[in-house]
Amino acid sequence: MASLVLDAVTVEFPIFGTHAASLKTTLAAAATGGRIGRETGVTVVEALRDISLTLSAGDRLGIVGHNGAGKSTLLQTLAGVYEPTRGRIVRQGIISSLVNPMLGIERDATGYENIIIRGLVQGLSRGEIRGRTPEIAEFSGLGDYLSMPVRTYSTGMLMRLAFSIVTSFRADIVLMDEWLSVGDAEFRERGAVRLREMIQSTGILVLASHSPELIARECDSVVELEHGAIVARKSISRLSAADGTVV
Amino acid sequence: MTGRAVSFDPRGAFADWWSGTRRVGLWATLAWYDTILRYRRSMLGPLWITLSMGIMLLGMGPLYSGLFDVGLRRFYPHLTLGIIFWHFFVASINEGCQVFIAAAPYLKQAKFSLSVFVWRSLAKQVILLAHHLVLYLPVAVWAGIGITPRQLLFVPGFVIVLVNLHALAIILGILSARFRDVAQIVTSAMQFLMFLTPVFWMPDRLPERATFILLNPLAQMLDVMRLPLLGSLPAPGTWWFLLGWTTLTVTLAGMLYTAFRHRVVYWI
Repeated sequence: MASLVLDAVTVEFPIFGTHAASLKTTLAAAATGGRIGRETGVTVVEALRDISLTLSAGDRLGIVGHNGAGKSTLLQTLAGVYEPTRGRIVRQGIISSLVNPMLGIERDATGYENIIIRGLVQGLSRGEIRGRTPEIAEFSGLGDYLSMPVRTYSTGMLMRLAFSIVTSFRADIVLMDEWLSVGDAEFRERGAVRLREMIQSTGILVLASHSPELIARECDSVVELEHGAIVARKSISRLSAADGTVV
Repeated sequence: MTGRAVSFDPRGAFADWWSGTRRVGLWATLAWYDTILRYRRSMLGPLWITLSMGIMLLGMGPLYSGLFDVGLRRFYPHLTLGIIFWHFFVASINEGCQVFIAAAPYLKQAKFSLSVFVWRSLAKQVILLAHHLVLYLPVAVWAGIGITPRQLLFVPGFVIVLVNLHALAIILGILSARFRDVAQIVTSAMQFLMFLTPVFWMPDRLPERATFILLNPLAQMLDVMRLPLLGSLPAPGTWWFLLGWTTLTVTLAGMLYTAFRHRVVYWI
């Protein structure tokens, strides 16, 4: 059963200056009481502040906000990348992040080998990956290219491979930064259907986006982030009405 | 220490370490591809290193055996294993500094146990070590080193060294993620330690008053791997020393892993 509960989650990043990132300077400062290398100060940036969310199966949450508002950090925190510096987060279910579909792609490995590597990274067993390979291969439409090193691929082909792999995973919680769309017109169309299938089978979708149309189409609720805090929560129909966008 | 997400939960840390350790399929495969992809980039791949090491040995053997006035049949096997194992230590330790920094794309995308990447790096170094150990076979045959049960002691020696290198990689990996100059300090320290370790020279040529330098952990680690393969026995004191040293590194690694495993991703 998919569920994702955040209770007053705060994520603070330490920003180290050149001096604070140096062991020699830090030790010198500690040993000399700050007379040598005194600028070892660490700035703390609050990337997320007091975020509370309760998501359960069937929820489709949109995240909006300006650049630097904390959308990506929130997605990463939901994925378990950042352990909150304050607050609590409870996850249930398998999480799949589509934020960077190219994760783990080895340029000198073949397409087939990359399917294996990416599958293992996702946590699948060799048997499961073997079972899925024909379907991934077919969907990618890359044919014999899959036996060649991916560095010989064009950017579009590489994205098609990555897309075909990550959208074959089934997860309880899917995290996405903008709608994943790659390849030529024909592939885009097939890809949209496939991505929709994946999303329909998932319990929870969290989608960060700058596009109100996309959020309105895919989500049933939305939070707006500003300086790492939630400044507005709306159900989707109200957002559309407020923005004047008609769906 | 509010706002630092430092944790004090050794059981949770061990569970985290173990959940990464048992993903053998993942880290072993990544290490395997790290190796074979190097073969694809150049015809000989990692064998280039074996080849250049072989050439270095051919040159250094006669020279140093003359300089140190040690018979070549006794000196060559000593030198060969010395260089091969030293290379393994240095590569594992230097790369240990980079384990988490290099794994940033993974760690920033999803939740992974840090131990996955420590094992990936160590597994790769073990595969490379296997490449280099091939050089020892002709040397051992030429030097007339027979097969004795003593060589079985290589196994516990190797295991204790692996435990140490794993712990060191955790310690240095975490420190390097936080302090970016650690890797440079370690590289210099390793160069210095090479002269204090009997990689090239014979420990029995050391004057009595200088034998204390053999107490450096790397010299002891070298002993438990090299002496069994040469057909002799490491001193009982070596095992005790390493047992103590291993307890120390593992404890320190455990403490850092417990306290900072959630923090590393904030630093990289």
